[in-house]
Amino acid sequence: MELNEIRVAVLRIEGTNCEDETVHAFKNLGVEAEAVHLKQFYSDTIREEEKRNIRDYTAIVFPGGFSAGDYIRAGAIFSARIKSVLRKSLEEFIENGYPVLGICNGFQVLVELGALPAFDKTISDRPEMALGINNSGRFECRPTFLRVESRNTAFTGSIDRDIVMFPSAHAEGRVIFPDGREEEWLERLKENGQIVFRYVDPGGRYSGYPWNPNGSIYNIAGICNPDGNVLGLMPHPERSFHPYTHCSWTRGRKETGDGELFFRSILEYMMKL
Amino acid sequence: MIAEVYIELKKGVADPEGENTLKALKLLGFSTVRNVETVKMFRIHMDEEDEERARNILEDMCERLLANPVIQSYRIVMK
Amino acid sequence: MSVYLKKDLPFEVYEIDILNSDDAQLSRISEDMGLALNTDEMKRIRDYFRAKGRNPTDVELQSLAQAWSEHCCYKSSKYFLKKYLFGINAPQNILVIEEDAGVVEFDENHAYVVALESHNHPSAIEPYGGSATGIGGILRDVVCMGAQPIALVDPLFFGPLDIPFESLPKGVKHPLYLMNGVVAGIRDYGNRVGIPTVAGMIFFDEGYTGNCLVNVGCVGIAKKENIIRSRAGNAGDLFVLTGGRTGRDGIHGVTFASTELDETSEESSRGAVQLGNPIIKEPLIHACLEANEKKLLTGMKDLGGGGLSCVVGEMALSAGYGAEVYLDRVPLKEENLKPWEIWVSESQERMMLTVRPENLEEVLYIFDKWDVPANVIGRVTEDRILKVYYRDHLVYEMDIEFVTKGPEYCRPFKVEKREGEIHGRVPEPVDYLSVMRSIISHPNIASKEFAIRQYDHEVRGNTIIKPLQGIPGNESHGDSAVIKPLADSWKGLAITADVNPYYTKIDPYWGTTAAFDEMCRNLVSVNSIPHSFADCLNFGNPEKPLRLGDFQESVRALGWMARTLGIPCVSGNVSFYNETPYSYVPPTPTLMGIGIVEDVRKAVTMDIKKRGSVLILIGETKEEFGGSVYSKIRGIEMGRVPRSDPVRLKNSMEGLLSLFREFSILSCHDPSEGGIFACLAEMCIGGGIGCDVEVPDEMRKDVFLFSESTTRWIVEVREEDSRDILEFLNKRNVPTRIIGRTGGRELRFNTGTENLSISVKELDELWRSGIVSLMGG
Repeated sequence: MELNEIRVAVLRIEGTNCEDETVHAFKNLGVEAEAVHLKQFYSDTIREEEKRNIRDYTAIVFPGGFSAGDYIRAGAIFSARIKSVLRKSLEEFIENGYPVLGICNGFQVLVELGALPAFDKTISDRPEMALGINNSGRFECRPTFLRVESRNTAFTGSIDRDIVMFPSAHAEGRVIFPDGREEEWLERLKENGQIVFRYVDPGGRYSGYPWNPNGSIYNIAGICNPDGNVLGLMPHPERSFHPYTHCSWTRGRKETGDGELFFRSILEYMMKL
Repeated sequence: MIAEVYIELKKGVADPEGENTLKALKLLGFSTVRNVETVKMFRIHMDEEDEERARNILEDMCERLLANPVIQSYRIVMK
Repeated sequence: MSVYLKKDLPFEVYEIDILNSDDAQLSRISEDMGLALNTDEMKRIRDYFRAKGRNPTDVELQSLAQAWSEHCCYKSSKYFLKKYLFGINAPQNILVIEEDAGVVEFDENHAYVVALESHNHPSAIEPYGGSATGIGGILRDVVCMGAQPIALVDPLFFGPLDIPFESLPKGVKHPLYLMNGVVAGIRDYGNRVGIPTVAGMIFFDEGYTGNCLVNVGCVGIAKKENIIRSRAGNAGDLFVLTGGRTGRDGIHGVTFASTELDETSEESSRGAVQLGNPIIKEPLIHACLEANEKKLLTGMKDLGGGGLSCVVGEMALSAGYGAEVYLDRVPLKEENLKPWEIWVSESQERMMLTVRPENLEEVLYIFDKWDVPANVIGRVTEDRILKVYYRDHLVYEMDIEFVTKGPEYCRPFKVEKREGEIHGRVPEPVDYLSVMRSIISHPNIASKEFAIRQYDHEVRGNTIIKPLQGIPGNESHGDSAVIKPLADSWKGLAITADVNPYYTKIDPYWGTTAAFDEMCRNLVSVNSIPHSFADCLNFGNPEKPLRLGDFQESVRALGWMARTLGIPCVSGNVSFYNETPYSYVPPTPTLMGIGIVEDVRKAVTMDIKKRGSVLILIGETKEEFGGSVYSKIRGIEMGRVPRSDPVRLKNSMEGLLSLFREFSILSCHDPSEGGIFACLAEMCIGGGIGCDVEVPDEMRKDVFLFSESTTRWIVEVREEDSRDILEFLNKRNVPTRIIGRTGGRELRFNTGTENLSISVKELDELWRSGIVSLMGG
């Protein structure tokens, strides 16, 4: 695929709120990206020129925010709506190898949808993991440092740094596996190379709070599906796209923002499709 | 028909909301509080007279939206 | 016989017999109906209806109560605001004072929009809902100018967290409960709508125990061509009400905000507290901005205090038109709302648009796309009369001018001099180190991280300088936040919120100059040019001459500072009646300052950057302990309040800003509460590096360390630049002196006789635990 064939959809419903900066991250790299309301895929009341089809796109992003107010559970309502109107075509989209990304609330949506960890099926019938309330019991907005554990994914191929800083801002980000099967789940993830990002302290050591801001098992910050083209992560790469939005950049600045490397990886993956 | 659906955290799943509430209550001087668990309840009004059928529908709601089986269990009480 | 006569209509509307009422009856009517109008105002209404030859309906009377409330018409404050503060001409002004938010030039094609408001009374009754709806309201104020909100600010004031429950007056909630609720409300609303909360303050004083203050500010950005007025477009245009449904919540909010709170307030005023729904607000913002960008609107205004009754009147009056409204077309949350309730309800998340008939379909499509209800509820008319119908019956007909142009008073006021004249009579402390430890952990200085990290301060991905600055994990409070509002420009906006009520309590005039000084210092510290400000003036009952005297002094000081410095006041809000039978708040003129950052890549932060650099103190240190944290720690009332001189401030600001242009400045921070000591301690904490400081011989140690004199900064510079920098500033008549060097793990003060030193680690721990230790872990 050529750069000019790439078209990214950042899905929105009421309450998603990181779509603008996520669209900008892609546009800054010279590709077409737009925020698309879920209704544009299915509603009869939408005018022709605003109607969209999932096949119009080569990548789909579930952005951060509080979709549908995070009522019931974070991401639950958005994922229920996806299931009712887009499930089949999304499955097809994933199976064709196109990248699907969930950031923060988007990760919660992918988990509730059953698109992650996706051990046995592209989209499982029931959620196979959960993102629970942070151990601190609070919303946590802070810089988080992540070790890149796998580069064999659609999202990390061009990240030439061991540790990246993507800020976190969430209240429900603690990765939880089914009670009693934690070890089994971890083993499967490791075996499949599905653990992509783990929280570390600024020195690169796996640490507890506040560096692991939510108490996630095994310091997991982001995981992908076995094929590596569906990724969910709690921290926000779009917020450290520019070197000048990094925390403490006045103490020493990188030439390229850590977030830019992340988004660049996605484009490079697509150009190989 | 009206049903109450209780969504609870499964045993062994940490409940930071409950723990923090416990801490706050202790701070306010309620020294006899031993434990606090958060439970969510949805009161659902349905156009369905048959209790058995209603229960089946409600279970489906729980499975598909109201509960995440990894961390939550549910209990249905018909009113 | 009753004065309330039910009209013969198929719904509930009363005629109020005021024509035959004497003064005592008028006052009883005002009380019974919760109008909060005084007898003179009631008489004025009687005269108006006498000329009409009929009695008013309850819809009309309730509407007048809204329009004439202190909250809506500023009847006690306008006189002073006009006399001292308004009318500062500055080239950057685009639309100032006259609308809900100020519009100021950002660059050739863009304007920024500023609004600041109080939400005090509702927050004292229901802190979570009160603060959340405060955020909702301030966002609408910015959106209704056609601007995208980009930052939120929240200055908060509470009683001491360690006040014993037993000592609270009846009906007053504990400050800890209030603070947790308010912070949670701001968090849940601000985070959900996706606008970063980037600045604010939390201040504790006994004076706020009975009346906490919750001020909320918002900054937005817009293309100049998209700025829209809060007035009706043309006769024949349609009034389109959008957003949430109308319910019984928030009835009498403004009349409630215009009276003192007492122990019965909780029960009697629950209805006045609105409930917010951020998940309607977020699409409402999108829909309003989309319709505005497509040039489909002729006017837009948010529904705030007074609900429909105020918004329709004000939009029509400022355009010189009249209006017709059909109340039965307003979508309701619950059935059986009486017509007057629909008319004055302050239900949240609503916005009023005026639309040309030919554009209606397109506007309705856009709102439908975002799943936001939108309904035509009336139209703009040629005459200047407002008519309200309910199910085809006329229930209201008044001249807009009479309703909307409320009374204006110059109430009696009395200026009280409270500043003592105690100079140099305070004995030096025996144990300086213990004073330092107490200062750095004082709740007004200690870390506010527990609140700041609950607010998403990075959503939208444009926060360049964050509220917490320094080494990750060691961050300290910054002076201002910096936002980069446009994708394709490096220009930025610096934002800060300031006031020190310890000073204004002693002397509202000088205290207000000090607040203005601090606002400017904080903006300059990050390398921004102070550009405009908004004020939220929180005071007690203006019907008491001493309170109004305090207000007058504060406004006079603001006017003097703003005019001399050429920094315009672009919007604001007055909140009176922050008073209970037991207490009243210290005079609290909260200021939100906006600075222009020419290039965000050149912004400066306050954390010490490296070892071996030179620390330069800019400005003069005098013995100014009045209202200082030092005086609180010592438990001694100490005279002179820190004060500012705008001419001196202007010169120093210009000197410092040109210094930033010519030299590389590693860090910059301003001494404020806790003086030079606290300033350096915060710089050390953020950088994880200590410093060695020489205390000058000619000055008492406590004056050097703890005095809170204004117009001072400490800058960290490279050793090799330090001489040139001194010369550069001296040439510009800015007082400077080298006070020390960075390095080591301690903050150390060398005097002729001893060394006072505390490790940065200990300072860090004390600073971080100051408030958290009072919150029960």
